[in-house]
Amino acid sequence: MTVPTDQHKELKKDVTFRIFRFNPQVDSKPYFDDYTIPVERGITVLRSLNYIKEHIDASISFRAFCQAGICGSCGMRINGLSQLACTTQVWDVLVKSKEPGVIKVEPLRNLPLIKDLIVDMDPLVGKMKHYSNWIESTMPESSMGKKEFLVSEEEFLRYDKATDCILCASCVSECSILRANKEYVSPAVLLKSYRMNADSRDALHEQRLAELVKDHGVWDCTHCYRCQETCVKSIPIMDAIHGIREDAIENRGMKDTSGSKHAEAFMTDIAKKGKLVEATLPIRTNGVIWTLQNLVPMAAKMIMKRRTPPPPPLVKSAKGIKTFREMFKEMTEHVKQDHKSHKK
Amino acid sequence: MKPFDIVIVGGGGAGLYAAMEAMKTNPSLNIAVLSKVYPNRSHTSAAQGGANAALANKAKDDTVEMHIFDTIKGSDYLADQDAVDVLCSEAPKIIRELDNIGTPWSRMPDNTIAQRPFGGAGRPRCCYCADKTGHTILQTLYEQCLKKGVIFFNEYFALSLSVKGSRSRGLIAMNMKSGKIEAFPARTVILATGGYAKMYWNRSSNAAGNTGDGQAIAYRAGIPMKDMEFVQFHPTGLRKSGLLVTEGARGEGGYLINKDGERFMARYAKEKMELGPRDLVSRSLETEILEGRGFDSPAGKYLHLDLTHLGADLIKSRLPQIREMSMQFEGVDPIEEPIPVRPTAHYSMGGVDTDNFTRTVMDGVYAAGECGCVSVHGANRLGGNSLLDILVFGRIAGHTAAQEAGKFEPGNISEGELTAQYDDIRSFMHSSGHYERYGELREELGQTLGTNVGIFREASLLKKGIQDIAELKERFKKVRVFDTSDVFNTNLMQVLELRNMLDLAETVAAGAYAREESRGSHTRTDFPVRDDAKWHKHTLATQVNGKLALSEKSVTMGRYELQERTY
Repeated sequence: MTVPTDQHKELKKDVTFRIFRFNPQVDSKPYFDDYTIPVERGITVLRSLNYIKEHIDASISFRAFCQAGICGSCGMRINGLSQLACTTQVWDVLVKSKEPGVIKVEPLRNLPLIKDLIVDMDPLVGKMKHYSNWIESTMPESSMGKKEFLVSEEEFLRYDKATDCILCASCVSECSILRANKEYVSPAVLLKSYRMNADSRDALHEQRLAELVKDHGVWDCTHCYRCQETCVKSIPIMDAIHGIREDAIENRGMKDTSGSKHAEAFMTDIAKKGKLVEATLPIRTNGVIWTLQNLVPMAAKMIMKRRTPPPPPLVKSAKGIKTFREMFKEMTEHVKQDHKSHKK
Repeated sequence: MKPFDIVIVGGGGAGLYAAMEAMKTNPSLNIAVLSKVYPNRSHTSAAQGGANAALANKAKDDTVEMHIFDTIKGSDYLADQDAVDVLCSEAPKIIRELDNIGTPWSRMPDNTIAQRPFGGAGRPRCCYCADKTGHTILQTLYEQCLKKGVIFFNEYFALSLSVKGSRSRGLIAMNMKSGKIEAFPARTVILATGGYAKMYWNRSSNAAGNTGDGQAIAYRAGIPMKDMEFVQFHPTGLRKSGLLVTEGARGEGGYLINKDGERFMARYAKEKMELGPRDLVSRSLETEILEGRGFDSPAGKYLHLDLTHLGADLIKSRLPQIREMSMQFEGVDPIEEPIPVRPTAHYSMGGVDTDNFTRTVMDGVYAAGECGCVSVHGANRLGGNSLLDILVFGRIAGHTAAQEAGKFEPGNISEGELTAQYDDIRSFMHSSGHYERYGELREELGQTLGTNVGIFREASLLKKGIQDIAELKERFKKVRVFDTSDVFNTNLMQVLELRNMLDLAETVAAGAYAREESRGSHTRTDFPVRDDAKWHKHTLATQVNGKLALSEKSVTMGRYELQERTY
């Protein structure tokens, strides 16, 4: 059967790229420029930006290097979502456009803006250093190169996926904690930390963990899962974050930080009542003094303004609590067993 | 600025290994790494397949000696045999060292480092981490450099060596974030800026920035380039983008198929089939296309790389990146259907002429990795030897520079030199007499190189290529930088990269025209056989008074006599 030639004809349509512009030397604040170009099916956002830069406006600034989704240079927000311009098909994002035929292109969030679509990556590198995102080998430098470590396939698989990270900072840009607190460790750095801690060749496990449980560390994550949903390499970043937390509880006990106490309070409530006792949760997490100083005034204000109902003085156990307690007990046993066999 | 003992230009595998080794050799030295991208972005990350080393984990009878022979034979006997000795003997040590500092190698059932077969190799000796080997090595090296506290100047674009007499006084570079021209007075400079194959533009697998910056800087400073005509075409680039499908895909058992459904490699390399050396496989694909056995599409003619018989599990576990890329850039899932491929310019065997210690002819200037040419790859590089090259010679460069830095007094780079550079750059921004668009020149350069200085070459084509390049160089004088800002001027950077590519393109075409024989990746249809009597030697291209001059250098032989190269 011969294929009719017009079947090969690529479909084409006009697409407007609404590009975020800011040149610190001239502009007091950012603005958007519109560029409308014909785009064939199968063309990526990066190729479109290159076309605009080469043919219409050479001053548009963005980073791009490998153009093959492996170097991580061209992270940017495309129609509101942080991704790599080089692996994003124009026609795919067009479907998600708020205004038909218009694709909005903006720089990554949560990192300082330099110019147009370019942000400063130094803060991320700084955090990688702060959390020792490297292997401190258990082998002395003088014996290196003489023999290999023996590493099981099972261990390799534990961090295989985490080593896919290309530091494109898409997760950093989407992280809801970073929006509120720039000091926060960042999902990418947690992922790398997890990868290092899971490596039997590393000697820095305890020290790294001690740093991770401090303020702005692993307990600050609120499980919004935005990092994992956006990851351009589909890395289960939340598994890594949970992994560090479990590791911290196991190695350092429950009394370490407010984060672990918070988790413990959850467990106790659920085991006892089948639901949360919210009124006393802050006290159990952060202590009486902290709660009186920081939370009580705000809570009172919120209650006055009817933003929140006053906490119920007593929390009754949930319906069917007896059956639930049995199930809960069984589940906890299972988890303990799992941990034991995992360690072997 | 306080003078540096060592300034390393480039933050890929070679540059980072050099930095790490230099700090190890002498921790008291003042060392800086300059890179035009964040080091973890470097093109080392794109190397998928792996690095060769005769660890004998998989084939127990593998030896360093066999690795040496494979490399020399693969080079079509143009490699210097003493240099290949160094490369292959150091290989097991360097792979183990990378393991010792945390590289996540894939593993064998006995927990040792995994190895796979690769083109042109007699034994399965390519050490790998799935199909992200380069990426994980680069991450590991970057992490170790952060640990050691290496000083990085990220997003600095190197402009020139400051030369006085026969020696360098340091480096001049542009800070991309501020647009300032800055001086880096230094006792020694290591050039490790990667390859120049991006000059083939859309017919290249390389990153946009593989524009031969280090080579161009050295060339303009009067340092000779060696064997520039040898550009390797990788057999399997994706049809539309030129992006690479790793040789690992064939190593794992992939077939090359033409439109008649034939495994056509049977015609060209009966025994090795798809795992023949790259130059041979590339020529085979090109021949199939030229003789009308390719598939047709608006994006050009192509062939099939068929992995469907390997099964979903193997493709997902061993070649996940390839699958992802095929889907993203071709809309093809290799589990379901074959991948459309054609040859793509991939690697530059040529580079800055160095000795086995990476020294150039200029005192205090070293070159390593794809930027340098020792030469270990000769006329054709074997798959899995490029990562090895940057690691081994990056390390040697760091060690040598650290030991020799004390021999050289740091130079002084004057304000005047910096101002001259700044004025030179700003002149591209003047509206009068500047109207050429860099995008067009770049595109045309790629086209003429692909057509006239491509896989199959001949005198009339090469003459045309040389003429085209000369015309493009003339037009470049009128190129316009439209972005006049200082802060992160990517327009300016791309124009400067184009200047580098144009300077080097001239040496590639001139070398190819002069070399009247066929050897390795260099195939002259008008001189189809290897001519050892006349051409068993390296080509040197040197800029003398602004003009290109060609000369020769003999090949260092050793245990292996010249033989015909068949697979």
